[in-house]
Amino acid sequence: MAGHSKVPWDSVSINAVFGLLSAVALLFLVAPTLIVLITSFTASESLRFPPAGLSLRWYAALIDADQMQRAAWNSLVVAFWTTMISVVLGTAASLAIARSRAPLMRAADLLFMSPLLLPALAFGFAALIFINKLGFSPSIPLLVLGHVIVCVPFVLRTTLASLSQLDPGLLEASESLGAPQWMTFWRVTLPLISSGVGAGAFLAFVASFDNVPVSLFLADERSEMLPIHLWQQIETNLDVRTAAASGVIVIGTLILMVLAEKFAGLTRQMR
Amino acid sequence: MGASNSPLALPLAAVFTVCFVAPLFVLLVLSLHGDVAMTNWSLLNYLSFFTDRFSYSILIDTLLLGVKATLVCFIFGFPVAWLSARVNARWQSILLFLVILPILTSVVVRTFSWIVILGRYGVLNQIALGLGLVSEPLRLLYTETGVVMVLAQVQMPLMVLPILSVLSKQDPNLADASRALGAGEWRTLWKITLPLAIPGIVAGCILTYAASVTAFVTQSLIGGARLIYMPLDIYQQAVGANNWPYAAALSIIFMVSVMAVVAILNAVGRRSETHGRA
Amino acid sequence: MKLTIDRRQLMQSAGILGLAMGAPRLALGEEKTLVAATFPGTWSEADRNVLLPAFKKKTGATVTQSIILGTDQVSRLVAAKGNKPPFDVAFFDAPQVIDAVREGLIVEYPVAKSPNFKELLPSAQDKWGPKITMQVIGIGYNPTKITTPPTSWDDLLDPKYKGRVGLTALNSQLGIAFLVEVNRVKGGTDENFDPAFKYLAQLLPNVGAIAANLGAYATLWQQEQVDIAPYNFNFVQTLKAKDVPVELSIPSSGAVGWSTSLHLVANAAEPDLAVQYIDLHLDAAIQEQLMKSPYDAIPTNAHVKLEGGITKTLAKSQDDLAKIRTIDWEKINPQRGALIDRFNREIKL
Repeated sequence: MAGHSKVPWDSVSINAVFGLLSAVALLFLVAPTLIVLITSFTASESLRFPPAGLSLRWYAALIDADQMQRAAWNSLVVAFWTTMISVVLGTAASLAIARSRAPLMRAADLLFMSPLLLPALAFGFAALIFINKLGFSPSIPLLVLGHVIVCVPFVLRTTLASLSQLDPGLLEASESLGAPQWMTFWRVTLPLISSGVGAGAFLAFVASFDNVPVSLFLADERSEMLPIHLWQQIETNLDVRTAAASGVIVIGTLILMVLAEKFAGLTRQMR
Repeated sequence: MGASNSPLALPLAAVFTVCFVAPLFVLLVLSLHGDVAMTNWSLLNYLSFFTDRFSYSILIDTLLLGVKATLVCFIFGFPVAWLSARVNARWQSILLFLVILPILTSVVVRTFSWIVILGRYGVLNQIALGLGLVSEPLRLLYTETGVVMVLAQVQMPLMVLPILSVLSKQDPNLADASRALGAGEWRTLWKITLPLAIPGIVAGCILTYAASVTAFVTQSLIGGARLIYMPLDIYQQAVGANNWPYAAALSIIFMVSVMAVVAILNAVGRRSETHGRA
Repeated sequence: MKLTIDRRQLMQSAGILGLAMGAPRLALGEEKTLVAATFPGTWSEADRNVLLPAFKKKTGATVTQSIILGTDQVSRLVAAKGNKPPFDVAFFDAPQVIDAVREGLIVEYPVAKSPNFKELLPSAQDKWGPKITMQVIGIGYNPTKITTPPTSWDDLLDPKYKGRVGLTALNSQLGIAFLVEVNRVKGGTDENFDPAFKYLAQLLPNVGAIAANLGAYATLWQQEQVDIAPYNFNFVQTLKAKDVPVELSIPSSGAVGWSTSLHLVANAAEPDLAVQYIDLHLDAAIQEQLMKSPYDAIPTNAHVKLEGGITKTLAKSQDDLAKIRTIDWEKINPQRGALIDRFNREIKL
């Protein structure tokens, strides 16, 4: 029975150590966002935590923040179009990649995923040079294309994951019953992978909205993006309005996440 | 059936060729010229980078920064993944929610909140001074320590998710068998769980590393203007000094370095995998 | 089967064309917008709080601010030469004007379209663009921590300020003006900067943080990361108004200053709006408002009498202001790149 008495101590110690490390990690994951949220309700002019008093004045100040609102609108528009294109092109490409073992498809898969690993800043700069050499100026449509490159990998990842769990037997059954390929896709495949596509669309939208490295080069003041505007504000003029804007973004993201969880089972997709 | 589906990938492939491959190619070509108008070929950009200690020390600092951030991230991230794999489905969803939330909040917002925390009279120092751990406020902002801390937190979801994915697919029978044979929890972890989790760990490390070295916003907001890493150097040369050919060379060097490290991590992962199985 | 796939690809391309046409209209909106540059910190706030509402009332147009240092403005304009510039109104300190004129980045100011131009002091009526204010530097310090005002740049070397001194990077105007002034005080010339760098090397153990620009500098003061540093009069006043403990002391070696001006950028998208915007800065009522707390901007309109914080710290009259020492930017500008490089290499925290 000597073996038995060793095991409980072991599991207690491992649970304690890992539990403690996890607790610290989770605290660090959540605390900064909470702190900024609480600080945004401060009544004073400075960013001290805990705040000196509570007030909604900085959220009220956002109503006058014309330029910030314009930047937020631009970011939303770009994120919307980026998501649309990424979903359409990404889903189509996923279908092709999932069904084929050809080395060309493997290479294509690698190519489409590579923006996740390559420094996005270098890509943004390369895109600017390319546009310049072709004689164009940065503009919203070109910015959307740049965002598509860095956001479509998210759609690919989740859609491919969904497709890999798809039972090929279902598709064979549909085809043997005489359905043309597009109908099989529309009636069988798409509904089954919809949560994967949905999760990918959500991630692509957020990635585009929050994107800094590509927007840094392809967007200018005439088409300002919100993260760049916030970054400039923090670098040049740290005041509490930035915390209020951050508060809005945090709450907005939270709401979107809850929706994504309810309708697309977001956390399930990420496993 | 496979071949006839391939054309579906064409639209995306076309977009990538025009919007991704072509610009990178132009970047490479520009870096090999002495001027923006591309009239004279020259290796000067690369030569001046590698012969100038100041310049390549920026590259080394950046690559090392990634290593540090990935290490800290792993030390704290692995337990979170380990814990999430062991709890029931409901708690797992909650934990995952908490893990994903930061990565979905704008990186500018998250980095900004760290400025509030790490300042001289910020939360961290208030706690440390209050608990008597230090007698003078710690200097965390505008230091590399601060940057590593923030990077580890900001990128942690990238480390946790792949590891969790692998851990939750692990056959629990293996661990049970190990325990039934008398091995303690720590031994089971070291001999069974960890080796089998290597693909996930490697994936997590690669994603975290790649994200940390290119984390322009975090590096510049927490590090300040004085801690110069490759992203800020590229940006300053490209936008501040208008030195496009040199900035292009910096970008190519940076990309190649990151790809090299990723390839090494991949290779190490694959070797440990075969050893683990043997 | 082939047909259906082609149809899908066709739909995709049609969709993309649709977005290309729809997106710009959605994003840019209908009303007129002027993009104008402004400096980080006090100036962007002053513009946003005073100029933008007044401009909207006068012309109905909105202004998008491009918050960017003078030197970076020059870089961006050079990069955009031949194409549409990123902003229509340039906000320069004296050194940038020289570079901008040489590179053809700005055009001669259309005085005929600017009614307030002739109301300026004669010295402010420059054909390349009116001078709207003057900036002066001295030693900023936290009066709650440092009870006797510092009187010399050498005071910053005092070991009791270890880790509490602040600096800005050399590409900001404050940084380079400080370097040149310290160089002069230490016996250097416009050709020899060794005394200045020797001083900086001595200062290094005391330096707590080096900020990228004046806006980021303000953050350091607000969070009490620095207690003493070279600083700019207007920024001190703005921070004071925000209840941050900071005062400006002019060292016994004297104050140093330079002029700040607005310019019409070449190939501007909205040149008429740009001139109207600049003209508004010259208006006596606007300059009076800007002279008040929290901006305390030194006016250049001849009809505005000096009062408030300016008279307390800097000068009692425009004649006194004219006596403040200036810098020979023609000599310093060409060396700027080399100085910044030397600073980055030698002054490492």
